[in-house]
Amino acid sequence: MMFYRRSGILHLDYRSERQLWPLRFDRFLVATVIALLLAAPLIVNRLYLVAYLVPWLIWSSATLGLNLLMGWAGQVHLGYGAVMAIGAYTSVHLVRFGAPLELAMLAGGVASAAIGVVFGAAALRIKSLYLAMATIAMQYIIDFAIIHLPGVSGGVLASIQVPPVRFLGLQIEGDLSAYYMAFFVCAMIALFLLNVDRTAFGRALAAVRERDFAAEIIGIDTFKYKLLAFWASSFIGGVVGCVLVVCYLRTVSPDQFHLDLSIQILAMVLLGGLGSVLGSFFGAGLVLFTPIVLNVVIGAAAVRFGFQIDADLKAHLPLMLYGTLIVAFLSIEPLGLAKVYGNVRNYFLLWPFRTART
Amino acid sequence: MKLTRRAFLATAIAIPTIGLRPAAADERVIRFGMPQDFTKIYTFLAAEYSQGQLDYFSLVNGRGGVNGYKIVADVSDSANEIPRAIETYERLKREGMVLIDPLSTPVARALVPRVLEDKINLVTAFSGRSDAADGSVFPYVMPLSPNYWTQAGLIVDFFRQQDRDLRGKKIVLVHLDTPFGKEPIPILQTLGQKLGYRFSTFPYAPPGNDQAAVWPQVRRAKADWIIFWGAGVGQSSSLSEAIRNGIALDRMCSSVWLSESDMDVVGKGAAKGVLKFEPCGSGRGPKIIADIVREVAGKGLGAGSEAKIGTAYYNYGVMMAAIMVEGVRAAFAKSPKGPITGPWLNEGLTSITDFTAEGLLPAMTVTKQDHQGGGRGRIARWDGEKFVPQTDWFSANQDVVWAEIMKSSEAFKTTGQ
Repeated sequence: MMFYRRSGILHLDYRSERQLWPLRFDRFLVATVIALLLAAPLIVNRLYLVAYLVPWLIWSSATLGLNLLMGWAGQVHLGYGAVMAIGAYTSVHLVRFGAPLELAMLAGGVASAAIGVVFGAAALRIKSLYLAMATIAMQYIIDFAIIHLPGVSGGVLASIQVPPVRFLGLQIEGDLSAYYMAFFVCAMIALFLLNVDRTAFGRALAAVRERDFAAEIIGIDTFKYKLLAFWASSFIGGVVGCVLVVCYLRTVSPDQFHLDLSIQILAMVLLGGLGSVLGSFFGAGLVLFTPIVLNVVIGAAAVRFGFQIDADLKAHLPLMLYGTLIVAFLSIEPLGLAKVYGNVRNYFLLWPFRTART
Repeated sequence: MKLTRRAFLATAIAIPTIGLRPAAADERVIRFGMPQDFTKIYTFLAAEYSQGQLDYFSLVNGRGGVNGYKIVADVSDSANEIPRAIETYERLKREGMVLIDPLSTPVARALVPRVLEDKINLVTAFSGRSDAADGSVFPYVMPLSPNYWTQAGLIVDFFRQQDRDLRGKKIVLVHLDTPFGKEPIPILQTLGQKLGYRFSTFPYAPPGNDQAAVWPQVRRAKADWIIFWGAGVGQSSSLSEAIRNGIALDRMCSSVWLSESDMDVVGKGAAKGVLKFEPCGSGRGPKIIADIVREVAGKGLGAGSEAKIGTAYYNYGVMMAAIMVEGVRAAFAKSPKGPITGPWLNEGLTSITDFTAEGLLPAMTVTKQDHQGGGRGRIARWDGEKFVPQTDWFSANQDVVWAEIMKSSEAFKTTGQ
């Protein structure tokens, strides 16, 4: 038996050759995962829906957005949280003025893209660590601006509730509708990124990523494509910012979008795998849930085996384990979780014969 | 062959469900959730605060609990991250939690809409929204402590008591440049118009470890009184810089966020004279704290290092735990049969009357309208070794504070801000 059976797949036209998942088993897996996610509210307990699946979908969407910039176009961004903040604030304010959510969400994306591209322009002159500094500056400038404009932040207490909204005819209240909205947006973003590789845009990004002056020599307008990469990635960030506040936080306040968020999403991209759609989902899952699981396990173990540990140590122990895990993981498989999956898949591609060398 | 593939998939699907824990069995316990931040922003106080809470619960449980019910507090680290706190919230909700105390403003903000829906009591002591004192708008959000606006009002009143008249005087606020740091500004402005003092602000950038540029300006401002408003590292930096600039510490007052550990950083002797707002008694003097030393720590049941017992933040923890347990008592007095739910505890918490925790706190009375509990406190001065009360428990300027609370809660009700 072979899971990823390749026999009998003959491409008779370009369309079939270029389809996203040529292997039947891949298609089957994707369909199963989508079906499971769609049916999740029926299958899993509410706790897992609200506390795991919803944040996972939202953070995965954000990771996909940043991955477009970092993985596909090779540009560093350490201020993605600020990009999301712009989208979140723009859309919440628009919704409060009576705009429909769909429009407000897109407007949030456009606002993020417009401001993101200004800071992205720095990428035309500087690279790597220097670009990282420029984007960190963006993070701090946006944070500062939000806190110091009461009209934006919402006054003394600096928090704004999201009013009741409808999305594509669905009233967003409770867990179900929020879950499906997050799922829908995440699916759209994933679909877009899966297709990026198959477009001229995606190929140009790859050329820019590998060596920008070489790309320039073969006739790719790096100026245009770097800005486009920042534009597209920031647009996605803005949209996800909107989803984050509407479906999950329900209140928008500046402290939700600090550097911590940017670093967290960056970690998701790196651990998941640069330039991988699947990896973005893995990375988001790992970074979001490892600390939670470790916390729960250590807490439960402390109760079960009755050992008394200091609250301080109990809080830091999961962090130590988590840190060790990240270091170990990055030294064993620096290409991320997507590569781990790739290795497994490669193994099964030729199974039961020897592993395919790639 | 088919079977193997199916078995493989079935296992893959089954793995996540193995982690499912059955809901806790029906025991005689009352569950509180404490997903607090031990590792990120609130580290300066979370450990001591939590230790105080746990020790008090141990004291109560050791004496047989309340009505035979034990208090179970589930403490976990939220790292101030909303997804982690919400996971804990949802998990504990399933296990029948009736109260949650996240001790974090961002987490409290994200929980407010949820607890209003789920009817679980959200304790936001010294954190969260100041306007949650208005119980008619926030029925399940319970600050149960003097909010920042009240603290500012009391501090200004203390200045007035000292100088008799503040007309023409100059008061400055040196604050962390975040929404938290800017929170007292509207009250201080309003009181300035009322009492006739001049008011100005000096913000410093978060987290506040470098304030070297601000304090020379503060010195040049030649203020009569200085209020400094920060937390953690910001507070000790403020004090160090004030000393370096030769500012008289006995005319400087802090909010609740000043503790013995800040004094250790600055130097115990050097910080002599500085003032702070105190919501409850400090040291090991109050009877409850002495009881904990004897009955909990003495028997080796303490939740942490014994040296921390009686420090400012430890006592805040005891204070909040005592108020929660008093709420449970009051709830049993109202409906002894339960059932133990959020609304049941809410009834208890909102009927706490003249509670002093055997002298640890000023008499507090919580009602369905007033979730702050009266807004009493006192001003204490650091004498080089400990904080010494300078006033009796008092309350002041509550009209101005409540006008601000109503204005803000009204805005929350109508526009969600």
